[in-house]
Amino acid sequence: MKIVVLIKQVPEPGSVQIDEVTGTVQRREADAVVNPIDLHALESALRLANVYNGMTYVFSMGPKSADFAVREALAMGIDSAFLLSDRAFAGSDTYATSTILAAAIRAIVPDFDVILCGERASDGDTGQVGPEVAAALGIPVVTWVSRINSWHNGTLELCHRLEGGQEEVSVTGPALLTVNKEVGVPRLPTLTGKRRARSADVPVLTRQSLNLSLEETGQKGSPTSIVKIFRPQWLRRGVMCHVTGGESLASAVNQLVDHLEEKELI
Amino acid sequence: MSEQKTDGTGYNQISESDVQELITLLGEKYVLFRDREELEPYSHDEIPGTDYRAMPDVVVRPGTAEEISAIVKLANRRRIPITPRGAGSGLSGGAVPVCGGIVLGTDRLNRILDFDPANMMITVEPGVITNEINDYVKASGLFYAGYPMSLETCFIGGNVAENAGGGKAVKYGVTSRYVLGLEVVTPTGELVTLGGKLVKDVTGYNMVPLFVGSEGTLGIFTKIILKLVPRPRFQVDLLCLFPTGEAAIAAVAKLPTISGVQPTSIEYIDRLAFNEACRYLNESLTCGDCGAMLLVTLDGFDRDRLTEDYDAAGAFCQAAGATEVYVADSAATSERLWRLRRAIPEAFSLRYPTQSGEDVVVPPASIPRVIREFSAIAERYGICIPCYGHAGDGNVHARICAGPEWDHATWKQQLPVILRELYAVVRDCGGRISGEHGIGHKRIHYMSCVVSEEYLDLLRTIKQALDPNGIMNPGKVIPPRNGDAR
Repeated sequence: MKIVVLIKQVPEPGSVQIDEVTGTVQRREADAVVNPIDLHALESALRLANVYNGMTYVFSMGPKSADFAVREALAMGIDSAFLLSDRAFAGSDTYATSTILAAAIRAIVPDFDVILCGERASDGDTGQVGPEVAAALGIPVVTWVSRINSWHNGTLELCHRLEGGQEEVSVTGPALLTVNKEVGVPRLPTLTGKRRARSADVPVLTRQSLNLSLEETGQKGSPTSIVKIFRPQWLRRGVMCHVTGGESLASAVNQLVDHLEEKELI
Repeated sequence: MSEQKTDGTGYNQISESDVQELITLLGEKYVLFRDREELEPYSHDEIPGTDYRAMPDVVVRPGTAEEISAIVKLANRRRIPITPRGAGSGLSGGAVPVCGGIVLGTDRLNRILDFDPANMMITVEPGVITNEINDYVKASGLFYAGYPMSLETCFIGGNVAENAGGGKAVKYGVTSRYVLGLEVVTPTGELVTLGGKLVKDVTGYNMVPLFVGSEGTLGIFTKIILKLVPRPRFQVDLLCLFPTGEAAIAAVAKLPTISGVQPTSIEYIDRLAFNEACRYLNESLTCGDCGAMLLVTLDGFDRDRLTEDYDAAGAFCQAAGATEVYVADSAATSERLWRLRRAIPEAFSLRYPTQSGEDVVVPPASIPRVIREFSAIAERYGICIPCYGHAGDGNVHARICAGPEWDHATWKQQLPVILRELYAVVRDCGGRISGEHGIGHKRIHYMSCVVSEEYLDLLRTIKQALDPNGIMNPGKVIPPRNGDAR
């Protein structure tokens, strides 16, 4: 079984400040981490590899500093890591990013059985890259996977979350799964794993090595662009129902009921 | 409420006119009395069970130093006991009004008064939550290095009163290292400033350290000047699994000397404590068949240097018998491990409702002997005494858990006997009965197990000089002469 995991380097939650005037995100290298939900995808990959004697591969697109993210995956026990890094990749939206990731997977692990990724990144929060990679590769995608039951004759038995519950599904591979936190609590890297990760060879894949044109990557390959970054305003329009005696209690309860009915909450 | 009645302790009971005077001083809103439901939260701290509780007659919540001074002058004039209180997160009964009277809550004195990055100092009121100090100064690259385990709830005033230790004392020391100045209301009601924004000061006796750790028996803090230090940019935690408790504990004292690195903390967690905390937090980490583990924390300003350091510390633990070493080098994974460590006391409290949490401290190299002998005592009495804590600085938290068949009467009878045996081991190692939780009233009758009568007389002399009427937090720290009745 060949298992691919896609991970992203993100700012540590709480460490990002937005410059409201310029709309830019201010971050420090020291505060970069592996996207928290991607750690659950890595854990799933390692569990599958353990049960089905699989090989695991991790890919991450980002600046050179994202090298630490793939090495973190190696420290957890992933077999091979690849960093997709090129100035031409800068400014890629989710579509261009998916194009680049799909090209890397085709080039390195064309015979993969399953691709795993976190259901969304904590910074962009789009949840688009996983399904777009699946589309680029022409394979089925199952989102919000909460449990992977088995893999047999190329078919995965899964459970995934829906808005109102969960659903057991079978999917014939190769397929892409986006996972949520329920799929497995990430293991901690070991000291031995850390040492191995530090000395491991991490190939850097560039636009040229992936045979991608300039039109397919970066801003040129991106049909969308960020217009503005801002902190949303939270408006709470509460209604105060004052209670001072028995009569006003009944009146306050009626006010509350009216308010909830008006909002279609009851 | 009776008027001017003197009880057997030599204190006057609080009268209606005393309450009226307090209301005149503070306003009705900040004086609680009569309503037992309102008073009950002030009758205990976080010691499990009900054995160490006592109800106050009145609770006051002043908002200024001047109000505190006026309250203390009233208490002193009328010989009414007064018990200062922080967040009530203590573990020795220090904030419990064992003689009744007034409990003085400091929760309204909760302002950060002055942040002085140029001098790397901050001046705060006692009711500031300790964690908030670090939130406040974070952007400056500085931090307050005290790290009590209840950091999300405890007040800095309580930390100073108890000279709190916590998880980072191996490298950063305890609270006293960071207290440069205090404003104190003395037991006679005077407002006095001790120390200041000074790194050096020999202008008279060094009074600040006397008040730090005095457990509210010498006065009430109204301002605290703290030293800050540069905040290390990186932290790594190693969770090292050892096959036995003996192997883990034997590694503690040797780790800094042989690996050549100075950890921020070395925490010892035995298998039982780890599993209880995992169960309590629904945490899926497993320790396999390990007998005990060490949580070793290192921090620094250079990532590469820190990597070398944790490699060396981890390699030492492996050579000392660790079967696995896990590495947590992000805030999320680090917090995952420390959350487990911090949850141990609460997890034990739920699991073993009848228990006594001990806080002994010995020279660090004596830790293996203490763990070994505590284990032998537990076996002799047919009970369990799980151990965990700040092994790197010689401070072990031992939880004496009642035997499964013991009723409360048996527990009350056996606990003092077991404690005396534990404390004898500690004394023989050159240790003391509390490293950071304090004596309070929980341990007051065991002071003579580890210190001389001459030492206690010295404490009594100081107390008498500063608090001639004995109104400030009576029944704490210093046992009465020949009062060792248990």
